[in-house]
Amino acid sequence: MTEHKYGFLIDASCCIDCRACLVACSVENNVPMKNTRIWIHDTGVMGEYPNLSRYSAPFHCMHCVDPSCVSACTVGALQQSREGIVIYDQDRCIGCRYCMYACPFEVPNFEWQERLALIIKCDLCTARLDEGGQPACAATCPTRAIQFGRRDEMLNLAYKRIQENPQRYVAHVYGEHENGGTSTFYISPVPFEQLGFPVTGQTESPAHFNRLVTHGTPTVAAGVAIGMAGIYLAIKRQAADNAAAAAEHARPEHKAEEE
Amino acid sequence: MLVKIIREIRGLPRFSYLLALLTIFGLGAGFYRLYAGLGDTTNMSKVFPWGVWISFDLTTVALSGGAFTLAALVYIFHMHDLHPATRPTVLFGLLGYASVLVILFFDLGRWDRFWHFLVYPNINSALFEVSWCIAIYSTILVYEFSPVIVERFGNNKLLDFIKKLTVPMVIAGVTLSSMHQSSLGTLFIVMSPRLHPLWYSLLLPVFFLLSSIPAGISLIIIGSIVSDYLFGHSLSQRVIEKLGWLAPWVLGFYLALKLGELLVTEELELLFHSGIYSVLFLAELVIGVVIPMILFSIKKVRWSRTGSLVAALFVAAGIVFNRFNATWFAIKPLNGVIYTPSWLELALLVGVASGVLLVFTLISHYFPVFVETMPTKKHLQTEAASLEPAPTPTGD
Ligand code: SF4
Ligand code: SF4
Ligand code: SF4
Repeated sequence: MTEHKYGFLIDASCCIDCRACLVACSVENNVPMKNTRIWIHDTGVMGEYPNLSRYSAPFHCMHCVDPSCVSACTVGALQQSREGIVIYDQDRCIGCRYCMYACPFEVPNFEWQERLALIIKCDLCTARLDEGGQPACAATCPTRAIQFGRRDEMLNLAYKRIQENPQRYVAHVYGEHENGGTSTFYISPVPFEQLGFPVTGQTESPAHFNRLVTHGTPTVAAGVAIGMAGIYLAIKRQAADNAAAAAEHARPEHKAEEE
Repeated sequence: MLVKIIREIRGLPRFSYLLALLTIFGLGAGFYRLYAGLGDTTNMSKVFPWGVWISFDLTTVALSGGAFTLAALVYIFHMHDLHPATRPTVLFGLLGYASVLVILFFDLGRWDRFWHFLVYPNINSALFEVSWCIAIYSTILVYEFSPVIVERFGNNKLLDFIKKLTVPMVIAGVTLSSMHQSSLGTLFIVMSPRLHPLWYSLLLPVFFLLSSIPAGISLIIIGSIVSDYLFGHSLSQRVIEKLGWLAPWVLGFYLALKLGELLVTEELELLFHSGIYSVLFLAELVIGVVIPMILFSIKKVRWSRTGSLVAALFVAAGIVFNRFNATWFAIKPLNGVIYTPSWLELALLVGVASGVLLVFTLISHYFPVFVETMPTKKHLQTEAASLEPAPTPTGD
């Protein structure tokens, strides 16, 4: 059984768009900045001068409870670990990019510039976790906009902050129920669609519907095969019967004609 | 030797030179993409990770549906009078699938690992299922076409053996076809947040399967009339009429199911209130379903060559429209990004399509593809000397 041990709490009211997390991620994973696994959503400048405001929040893989990318991946390069981390096996991936469409949070990116290109996706800094550390992005964030810890603790913290400062946040923890729930929670002073997060209101993971259909396929296929065989035999038999009947009928007349 | 080759080449129909040129050009563009990566050569991006190549693949698979539809009609429903159409149709299906595989190869980020789907299964993945079914089904199509090759070399024992297995193979082929035709619809089930609700439905697999049947039928009709011009061979109007007669039934069922689904999910009002999407959806249904349904129901149209051609063209246009909608036009743009293909993406498509037509021409030039079709007047004039006594129908 998957445990969903870890979680993030990302607080858009703290993010100052310094992009230190992007740098940390690119250093940690030894990839160029354009291939980092974390990016920034922002609202753009809002309001009228002099009351201007702008909010931002970093986003990376949400490590969904029921991940659509895992259910979609052609070759099983995306898997969910026992601790609930959605990991990516870059030795398997064929670069079909189905996961990019499957992910309801529009997270995975692709190495568009490479000759042999792979998917770009956060693996929750598994190597650092194994050593008892924090993910690089969370460890680096100067304003603690990205917090990392146990999933249930992060969720509680999210609700606590909203309760203590109801005028500061919209009353919603993004990621708790979206698309079947995730391990990354967001709280924000502005509605999430303004920040650029996909908001559909769907609380069931697309993976659920996918399984519903793909698991039915073998049954349907067996039905088609049996049905086809049945039709073939039925028509064949009927044709044989008809032919026999016709032959019996026709014989005397034919003879007459021949003579 | 050289002289012989030149003579052979000069014996080919003229248009094959043009096809060869386009093929070389398109494949060249494809190889450049392998070298340069997808970013600089295509207009795909993070918000539009699939482009016109996937649209082409889905369309081609649907249009190649004629092969399994016809095999089912002839061998399982015992409509043996349709038999003359099988060889060209199976060959077209085979080449259609081949072109899909070639395009997919160029589409993969790790094209060097295209075979991974064979060894790393994910049974939940629609794309995994599609890959397997297409791989096995292509093999079956090769099998179904093999009598043509074997016959040419006159190996009768092998021919008998092949024919004995036909019915089980056809049943396997029809099953696999229904699986991958529908799984291509399943592909979008997991994409619920991106596909417009007018198209999104849990019945997508059924829609895709159903629509591939008239699509395949219409392509047999179009192919037959076009090959009249190109090769001087065609199906008899009786066969075309019978195929056309089938179309309205399937189209009608499809239409009822599509509208019924909108009714049940209470999305019927989307039909008129979704701006450009309503236009696309209605256009797709009117062009590809309603008009041809009416046309094919009229006996006079079915018995007329031009009438059948026009009706079939409507069906084909509708299916192209539908598959392009599902993979492209009806995918919600993000951050206002709208995808349009780059010239290189189009060049590869043109190249591969030309390649397929070229191979079709070559095979039908050297192998008995059109044995049971009717040589038309033009053909009789040009090749009167080489006409052999028609061989008995094969493959039963
Ligand atoms: S956010 Fe996207 S990529 Fe991450 S686990 Fe969920 S579906 Fe997969
Ligand atoms: S691009 Fe790679 S990880 Fe994504 S679905 Fe395809 S094979 Fe799986
Ligand atoms: S957890 Fe690690 S891999 Fe994921 S975004 Fe943060 S730094 Fe990058």
